[in-house]
Amino acid sequence: MAKLKIRRNPTRRYEAVYIFDSALDDAVITEKLEKLQGLLSLAAPAELEMWGRRALAYKIGRHENGYYIISKFNAEPKVLPEFERALKLEDGVVRYLVSLLEHELGAPILSEEELAARRARSDDDDDDDED
Amino acid sequence: MRRQKKPCPITEAGIRFVDYKDDRMLARFITDYGKILPSRLSGVDARHQRQLSRAIKKARYLALLPYVKGLQG
Repeated sequence: MAKLKIRRNPTRRYEAVYIFDSALDDAVITEKLEKLQGLLSLAAPAELEMWGRRALAYKIGRHENGYYIISKFNAEPKVLPEFERALKLEDGVVRYLVSLLEHELGAPILSEEELAARRARSDDDDDDDED
Repeated sequence: MRRQKKPCPITEAGIRFVDYKDDRMLARFITDYGKILPSRLSGVDARHQRQLSRAIKKARYLALLPYVKGLQG
């Protein structure tokens, strides 16, 4: 893409999942989290969801457990590379995933009646494979 | 001869967008070995199957779901 349109609001909504080393103290984790999130220069504070310690589905290196934290925030895309670099270098973070916050796209969900109507219709013509 | 189409369990549950963080819901759509269950067996509609497949892959990366289940090590 050569030129991007300039948008009035340059921020996008992101969601980050951090898996911290579960051996760390809660206070240390909070401190590291604040330091990392500080790199984002957020206008509004991030929405945090603390899952806490839980078992990993498989071992990551020597880790069998992780401290999960989910964070949702609006940030400018240009701050992300530096943020992810810091995450990669941070020893306390076992794994992380930063992604655009997924949300409802496309057609709205059908109501019960509409679903019933659809089903009745697809019973009539059985060749229709589209729903 | 055509088998009756199964209703999509995700649509029926009223889920609009499949969330990769909901590992207990996703676990219903993987096999005993941890593979993604084909929509042919689960009855999930195509749109939700695409969402589901992406969600499961993300959940695997985050160690919420196993890549392979049933093997120790």
